[in-house]
Amino acid sequence: MGGLQKKKFERGSATNYITRNRARKKLQLSLPDFRRLCILKGIYPHEPKHKKKVNKGSTAPRTFYLLKDIRFLLHEPIVGKFREYKIFVRKLKKAYGKTEWSAVERLRENKPTYKLDHIIKERYPTFIDALRDIDDALCMCFLFSTFARTGKCHVQTIQLCKRLTVEWMNYVITSRSLRKVFLSIKGIYYQAEVMGQLITWVVPYQFSHDHPVDVDYRVMATFTELYTTLLGFVNFRLYNSLNLVYPPKLDSNAESEPKEESEDDYAMNSESYLEKLSALSASLARVVSSAEEEEAQLDHFPTEGEDMEKMEAREKELKQQEAQKKLFEGLKFYLNREVPRESLAFIIRCFGGQVSWDKSVCIGSTYEMTDETITHHIIDRPSVDKQYINRYYIQPQWVYDCVNAKVLLPVEDYFLGVTLPPHLSPFVEEKEGDYVPPEKLKIMALQRGEKTGNEQEEEEEEEEEEEEEEEQEEEEEDDNGDEEDDEEEVAEEKNLKKMEEQRSQGKSLQVKVTPGKLKVENKARLEQEEKAEEKRLAIMMMKKKEKYLYDKIMFGKKRKVREANKLAAKRKAHDDAEKAKKKKARK
Amino acid sequence: MAAARRLKRVAVSQPGFLTLNPKVGPTDLVSSRRKRVNKNKKKNWNKYSDVQDVEEFLEDVRHQERTTGGLLSEKSDDSLFFLDVGQPKKVEEKEAAEPVKGKKRKGKSSRPLRIDLILQHDSRVAPPKDVLAYQKPNAKKLRRAAERAEKLAAKGVVPRSKKRLLNRPVVDRTSKKTETEANNNPERDFYDIWGQETKDLGEPWYLQQTRKKLVKRPEKLNEKPSVLPAVEVIAPGGSYNPDFFSHQELLREAHEVEVKKKKVEDKIERQLAYNKEDTATEETILREQVEGLVEESEEEEEKEDAPKEDGEEVAVGAIAVADKKTERQRKREKAEKMKEQQRLAERRQTEQQQQLFQLRSIKTSIKQQEEKTQVRQKRRKAKEEAQKAQPRRLGKLKFQPQDMEVQLSDELAGSLRQLKPEGSVLMDRFKSLQKRNLIEPRERAKFKRRLKVKYVEKRAFKEIS
Repeated sequence: MGGLQKKKFERGSATNYITRNRARKKLQLSLPDFRRLCILKGIYPHEPKHKKKVNKGSTAPRTFYLLKDIRFLLHEPIVGKFREYKIFVRKLKKAYGKTEWSAVERLRENKPTYKLDHIIKERYPTFIDALRDIDDALCMCFLFSTFARTGKCHVQTIQLCKRLTVEWMNYVITSRSLRKVFLSIKGIYYQAEVMGQLITWVVPYQFSHDHPVDVDYRVMATFTELYTTLLGFVNFRLYNSLNLVYPPKLDSNAESEPKEESEDDYAMNSESYLEKLSALSASLARVVSSAEEEEAQLDHFPTEGEDMEKMEAREKELKQQEAQKKLFEGLKFYLNREVPRESLAFIIRCFGGQVSWDKSVCIGSTYEMTDETITHHIIDRPSVDKQYINRYYIQPQWVYDCVNAKVLLPVEDYFLGVTLPPHLSPFVEEKEGDYVPPEKLKIMALQRGEKTGNEQEEEEEEEEEEEEEEEQEEEEEDDNGDEEDDEEEVAEEKNLKKMEEQRSQGKSLQVKVTPGKLKVENKARLEQEEKAEEKRLAIMMMKKKEKYLYDKIMFGKKRKVREANKLAAKRKAHDDAEKAKKKKARK
Repeated sequence: MAAARRLKRVAVSQPGFLTLNPKVGPTDLVSSRRKRVNKNKKKNWNKYSDVQDVEEFLEDVRHQERTTGGLLSEKSDDSLFFLDVGQPKKVEEKEAAEPVKGKKRKGKSSRPLRIDLILQHDSRVAPPKDVLAYQKPNAKKLRRAAERAEKLAAKGVVPRSKKRLLNRPVVDRTSKKTETEANNNPERDFYDIWGQETKDLGEPWYLQQTRKKLVKRPEKLNEKPSVLPAVEVIAPGGSYNPDFFSHQELLREAHEVEVKKKKVEDKIERQLAYNKEDTATEETILREQVEGLVEESEEEEEKEDAPKEDGEEVAVGAIAVADKKTERQRKREKAEKMKEQQRLAERRQTEQQQQLFQLRSIKTSIKQQEEKTQVRQKRRKAKEEAQKAQPRRLGKLKFQPQDMEVQLSDELAGSLRQLKPEGSVLMDRFKSLQKRNLIEPRERAKFKRRLKVKYVEKRAFKEIS
């Protein structure tokens, strides 16, 4: 039919992709350099939809990049720097080989370096973009800052990470934006709300590193290189937003000034500045000396109906948040030496508490253990010799649980040597009908401001069983509340039906006049009934299709409830068994 | 020069002048007979005028100058003669020399080498002065210019060239130093990168052509390759002091993962399994070795039979020969074909007419089909959504999730102090990057030794072992 024969793989997806090796050759870079460049520029491999077409008929597994991305990389000025660096290394090697030390020195002085500032600006055109991507950066920086100064990565990188994380923590403290904490077996998860963005990061426990071998440290170091730059710029902006001095300076006229005596013993002069900052015990200097902070008032708009409800909900939430921010205000903590100091100091300061520790543990302790005004002494050992009467001796979990519960929990459960209640994850959000562990229920009740009647009873352990019965009853009531109403309705209907049947059969009804009873109308109940009736009617009016869907949903819900009930029952059985065991042990 | 020469001539013409060349006497200068020649031709001047004496004289002058550095007649007497006072005090010199016999050698060595002496300039005539060295080209002009500049400087006027030098942009020497600062320098400073607008360094066209302007980043690159969050919080069972049920839940999950792994392992084992009875025993080995040695004759007979049978079978195959169709047959076939076609066409038409009455059923069938496609579309979309959270296949290797971090019930710590952290955050971060398709899963390159290692026992070690 005329025309040239179409050649294969010259159009379509085959021309949109490029293999990694070809891309590397096009850029004239070695593989590690290419990988580094891709990470820095945010260009990731892509899985084509039709691999065979892209791979020119072969099915061999390859890494593909989009050709346009690689073309974009060609314009990057850093590529030139990478090549320069390659030459630099070659020259240096040669100079070493020839033992020309002056040449080595000269080359070292003129080592080619590059900056990532323009890449940050390019990848994150606005500040909010950067803030959205800060999770990764934080995780990486916190991780690297805990590395020992072995050969796994550059010492300077570790120092920079340390500095940046300390700056970040100080910002979170000053802005009081921490929301959730979770102690997991892997590390400590934190969540903060910064400028409306929820930011989650994980911090490894101290000294918990056994360096895994199958991690590519070079790749991780490259990510860190990018993220340190990003975090630095974000920190600068955040500090500016709070009128803080950047790089952070300690507030010199604060009341809680760290004592100067032991500083010399602790660290060298050059280091003590960062160490003091990282102690997190002092507040930061501001550009404009802070007057009383203005409380942000929510703007009121005249609204109606649903918007009104939403507004109210929002307002309530805000109020709660404000209360949470001042959770530890007025409390004075003292950390014993075996508790994780950094994490606890960070959290306590985040919620306005004062904190100190033994001066031999870390620099920056503000008051001694003998201080009479200390309200909470955080300790993590079974017993202590000398106890002060006017302070609580509690286990560290109390602090974390309080933060998650957003209220000060009763301290009784967290005393020395007491078996702790479970530490629940604040990142789980239960939907309606899900199983909620009883501990959480208790906390929720506390949040609502109710005082559980069980509290006093719990102390008197003899009455435990009674209490359980009560609980059971309560639960049953909760479950059966709706059902009872239904049953009543059913009974009435039955009566009516009977009467009608009798009437239809032509039997003369027994006529009897009885004195009327005053029916007390319960308004609330009536209203409820009306609502239920409406709902029932609405269900009746549904189309078949909708009805089907509705039934399905309801079935799902019921199933969930059933499962939750089952779990609750299990839990009860478990608790009973535990208690029985305990009693036996006591006897 | 000319003046000097004249002087020499004058000196020569005086009666007291001594010549060094004894052959040429003053009497020879005057010859008795003279040849007559025309003197109006320059050629004859050269040929017949006798300049011998002058030449010789000049040669002599040059000789004197060369050897003594000037004319002898002009020299003072002191420079030509000396007063002979007899033998110098050689004895004293010797006495002085003897005690420092060691130094004698040094004196010898300090004497100039013969080769240097040979190469030395032996003429005493001073080299002619280089006139050009003393003359400056454009001296007058330059002098005038300098004078004028001086005058202007006195007035306080700065020349243009100097002005330009003063006005040139200052190159900051310190800026180079900041450029060489490493990227991970812990003291590096940051600035408001989002606040300030970038300064325009020049014309956009110029910047573009000189590759100083950065290329705009395509919007598509800012999309994340995965919908997964950067930090996935561990399940509630992973708490250091977990709720009983959530812990059980996590354990169950971990258990399921393990069961799956075990299943895969078992499958491989099953595939590799073989019947134990098939293994070689001593008996079977022996039988194999003896095979063919015993009962040879029977087998040979069988072999002889076999080829005969094969030959017969081959011969049996017959070829069916197709007969040629007659004209009549052909015609009939054609007619039949036509008829069949007609029949089918008619049938189709009637069917189409009948479809008019089947409209309802057709409608329903179409509806059903559409519903089916819709369901399929939905399913496909849901699948795509689910796929988005899945790690893609980006290279040779598939993504392998890390082991779940779980602590068994008896491993759980009672308090924060006794907690033993499980897993590694580093590994978690690395796997998260892979899971979100930011990097492709890779295997660590195996170390390949190019040359064989030769083990040599050291002598000291050998003695012990």
